[in-house]
Amino acid sequence: MSRTLRWFAVIGVALVVFGPLGLILYQSFLNEPFFSQSARFSLDAYRYILSDSGFHSAFGTSLVVSFGMTLISVPLGSLLAFLLVRTDLPGKKWLEPWILVPIFLSPVVLAFGYVVAVGPVGFFSLWTKALIGRVPWSLYSLFGMVLIAGLTHVPHTFLYVSSALRSLDPSVEEAARVAGAGPWRIAVTVSLPLVLPSILFSAALIFLLGFELFGLPLVLGDPAGLLVLTTYLYKLTNLLGIPSYHLIAVVALSIVALTFPLVYLQRRMLRTAGRFAVIGGKGQAFRPLPLGALRWPAVAVVVLWLAVTVLLPLVGVALRSLVSSWGEGIKLSEVLTLDHFRELSGYPNLVRGIINTFLIGGVGGALSVIFYAVVALAAHRWQSRWVTFLDYLVMVPRALPGLVVGLAFLWVFLFFKPIAPLRTTLFSLWIAYTVVWLAYGLRLISASLFQVKPELEEAARVTGATQGLVFRDVTLPLIRFGLIGSWLLIFMMYVREYSTGVYLLGPGTEVIGSLIVSLWGTGALDLIAALSVVEVALVGIVLFIALRLGVRLDA
Amino acid sequence: MIKRVVWLSVVLAALCFQNLSTYAAESPQTLAGAQKEGKLVIYSSTDSASVEPLLQDFKSLYPFLQVEYNDLNTTEIYNRFVAETASGSGTADLLWSSAMDLQLQLASKGNALAYASPEISGLPKWAVWQNQAFGTTFEPVSIAYNKRLLPADAVPQNHSDMIRLPKEKPDVFKEKIATFDPEKSGVGFLMMTQDAKMFPQFWDLAKALGSSGTKVYTSTGAMLEKVGSGEHYLAYNIVGSYVLLRQKKDPSLALVLPKDYTLVFSRIAFISKTARNPNSAKLFLDYILSKRGQSVMSEKSLVYSIRSDVTGNVTAAGLTKELGKALKPIEVNTDILAGLEQKKRLEFMKQWQAALKR
Repeated sequence: MSRTLRWFAVIGVALVVFGPLGLILYQSFLNEPFFSQSARFSLDAYRYILSDSGFHSAFGTSLVVSFGMTLISVPLGSLLAFLLVRTDLPGKKWLEPWILVPIFLSPVVLAFGYVVAVGPVGFFSLWTKALIGRVPWSLYSLFGMVLIAGLTHVPHTFLYVSSALRSLDPSVEEAARVAGAGPWRIAVTVSLPLVLPSILFSAALIFLLGFELFGLPLVLGDPAGLLVLTTYLYKLTNLLGIPSYHLIAVVALSIVALTFPLVYLQRRMLRTAGRFAVIGGKGQAFRPLPLGALRWPAVAVVVLWLAVTVLLPLVGVALRSLVSSWGEGIKLSEVLTLDHFRELSGYPNLVRGIINTFLIGGVGGALSVIFYAVVALAAHRWQSRWVTFLDYLVMVPRALPGLVVGLAFLWVFLFFKPIAPLRTTLFSLWIAYTVVWLAYGLRLISASLFQVKPELEEAARVTGATQGLVFRDVTLPLIRFGLIGSWLLIFMMYVREYSTGVYLLGPGTEVIGSLIVSLWGTGALDLIAALSVVEVALVGIVLFIALRLGVRLDA
Repeated sequence: MIKRVVWLSVVLAALCFQNLSTYAAESPQTLAGAQKEGKLVIYSSTDSASVEPLLQDFKSLYPFLQVEYNDLNTTEIYNRFVAETASGSGTADLLWSSAMDLQLQLASKGNALAYASPEISGLPKWAVWQNQAFGTTFEPVSIAYNKRLLPADAVPQNHSDMIRLPKEKPDVFKEKIATFDPEKSGVGFLMMTQDAKMFPQFWDLAKALGSSGTKVYTSTGAMLEKVGSGEHYLAYNIVGSYVLLRQKKDPSLALVLPKDYTLVFSRIAFISKTARNPNSAKLFLDYILSKRGQSVMSEKSLVYSIRSDVTGNVTAAGLTKELGKALKPIEVNTDILAGLEQKKRLEFMKQWQAALKR
C-alpha cells in the first residue's frame, strides 16, 4: 500500500512537471516552433540569448530584486508570524485577515494602487508636495520596486512560518521565559530557529517568485526603463515581430537552472530535519507569551507595515474605483461617482468570472491540498534518492515565468491527445494551477509533517495499527492546522493566479484575473479598480468567516 | 390602451421589416449552412464590453447562432491559433485583431479562407487583401492630451510640432510625454515604422521624445490613465477610438489628429481555412463589414467605421471631410510584412533606442 503510494507520488509528480518542462527544453534546441514542419535542431537560441547584453542586464536586475525582496520579506514575515501566533499582541484577531490581502490581489492592481497613492501625481504624493514643496521619493526606481516587492511578499513568509509556529510545543518558549528571556530573545533564539525549515522554504520560494514577478516590474519598472527577466521575456515575444518560442524557452530555462543550486543549498541546511520535531507525545497547554513593555512598539511595527503594504495600495485602488478622474488639479469631491460599479454590473461574464474564481480557489484549492498531502505523505520519512529527486523536481514549475507556463500548458493540452478534451474545462486550469503551486503546497504540508515526532506514529504502529490507520488517527489530526493553512494559502493563490491559465481560459471558464487583464488592454482602469474592490470584499468576507468560524488558525 | 398597443406593434413590425429589408446580404446557401452549424467561435482583441452592442445586434439577426467570443490580446490570438492549427484540434472560425502584421502574416501563410463577401463593394480597395484579409475599421492614429493641464499653446497640431514644442517648452514637456514601446508592442512598432516612412524627420522626432524624457508603455490603457491623471500630459500615437471611449468618462482628455498626415489603422479580420463553422464566420464577416454593422460600431462602440456610406463623426466619411488627403491608411497588404524582416526590424529598434537615450 505504502509502496504503491510512493511510486504514485514519484511518477505522478514527474509526469506533470516533465510534461511542460520537456516541451520547453525541446523547443529551446529548435530554430522554429516545435510543431512546425520546418523546425530543425539548432543552438541559435542559446547563442542569441547568452550573448545578448539585454539578457545579462535583465538577469542582473532580477537577481537584485530577488535578493532584495527575500531580505525584506523573510525577516519581517517571520517576526510578524511570531507576534501574531505566539504573543499576546493586542487586536491580533483583527489584524490577521488584513495581512493576507497582498496575496490575493493581482500584482498589476497592487502596483496600480501604489501609482494612484504614491506615484508622481498620486494623492499622497500631492499632499506631501503641498506640505513640503516636493515629493521626496520615486516610485519608478529599482529601490521602489524592491521595497514594494519585498513588503508585499511578507504574507507568503507569514503564512508559512505562522502555520509552523502554531504546531510548536509552547513549553520550550515557556522554559526560556522562566529562565528570564524577553520576547525578542525568545523569538530569535528559540521559536524561529525551531521553525527554520519553514523559514528556509519560504526564503527559497520567495527568491524564485522574485524571478517570476511580472505585474510589479511591468507597472513600476517599465517607466524607469528597468527590465527584469520577465519583462525581457515579454519584449522577446514582440522583438522579432512573431513570438520566438525558442528564445523564450532559453530564458525560461535559465531561471529553471537557478532552482538547482537553490534546492541544494536548502537541503544542506536542513540535513537534520529530525531535530525540528516538537509535537511530542505529552500534552500541552498554550499560553501566549506576554510582550510586556514591547506590546505597543510591536503593535506599531505591525500597523506601520499594514499601512504601507495594505492600506496604501488598497486606498489607491478603492479611490480610483470611486472617481471619474484623479491626479494633478482635480478636486476629489467633484469627481466622486458610483458609475464604475454600475457599469461593472452590466459587464458580460462578470458573475461567471467571480463564481469560477471561487470554484477554482475553494474546491480546486481543496483538491490540490489533498493531492499535495498524498505526495507529501508518500515522501515522508522515506530515506531514498527518489525523495531528493522530488525535492528538485517540485521547484521547477514555479521557476517558469507565467508567460511561459501558460504557453507550455496550452501545448501540453493540445499535443498530448489523451488529455486534450479537458482543455476547455475548468479542470485543465486546475491541473495547471496545481502543478505550478506544487512546491508551495507540498512544502507547507511536509513542514507540518516534520513537526510530528516519529514516536507518536511508532506508538500507534506498535499497538497494531496499520499504516493507513496511523495516518488517519494520528498524523492527519496532528497536521490539520497545516492542511487548513495551506488550503487558505492555496485558495488565495488561485484567486489571484492568471498567467498560468491564460491559454486555457475561454468563454465560460473566465476568472477574475482574466477579466482584469482584458480590461487592462483597453484602459478601463476604473473598471479594474471597481472589480478589484469587489474581489477584495468577497475574499475578505470568506477569510473573515473562515477565521471566525470553523477554521481556527490561532489555536 | 389597446389601441396604443396595436399601434406600437405595428410600428415595431414595420421596424423589423425595415431591418430585414436593409439587411439581407447573405446568400441562401451560407444561411442554410450556418443554420446547420449553429455555432461561431471568434478570437478577437476588441474587448468584450465595447463589442457587446455589435454582438447583440448580430445575434438578433441570427438568433440560431451560438457565438463564442474570446476576448484575447493580439499575441495570445496568434499563439493560440498557430498551436491549435498545428495540433489539428479546433480553433477559431474567425480572427479579428488589431495586430495588422500578425494577421497578414497568418493570412499570407495560407491560413485564411478566400471569401468574396458581398460587402466588399462598400470597402476601399486597399482594405481587402486577396479576398482573404479584410480591414474592418478606419481608426485615426492621434495625439491624446490632457486639456486641463497642457496649455493651449503647447498642444501640437502636426508632427513638426512634436519636434518643436518639447524644445521650446522643456519645462512643460519634461517627462510628460508617453508613447508606445515599439520593442514590446507590435502595434506601436507598426505605427512608428509607418511614421518613419511618411515623415522624413521622424528620427528628429524620436530624438525630441528622448531629450524630453518620454516614457514608453505597452498598453493604451495605462497611457490614457496617466494622461488623465497628469502624470503625463500627452500621449503620442494613440488609436483615436480608445480616446473617444475614455473621453466619455474623463472630460479632461482630448485628441488631435495631426494636420500634416494622420495614419489610419485598421483591425483586420479573416476566416480560418480550417474553420469548423465557415458559413457562420461568413455571416459575421459580412455583418461587421455591412452598413448596419458598421453603423453600430461607429455609434455604439465608438470605433471609426471604414465604409464611406456610413455618416457621422466617428466614420471614415467624417474624417475625410475634416482631413481629406492628409489621411494615410496603413494598407492591408503584404507590404506590412516588411516590418517582420528580422535584420531590418532589429536595426530599427537599435536606432530607436539610441534616439530615445538622451
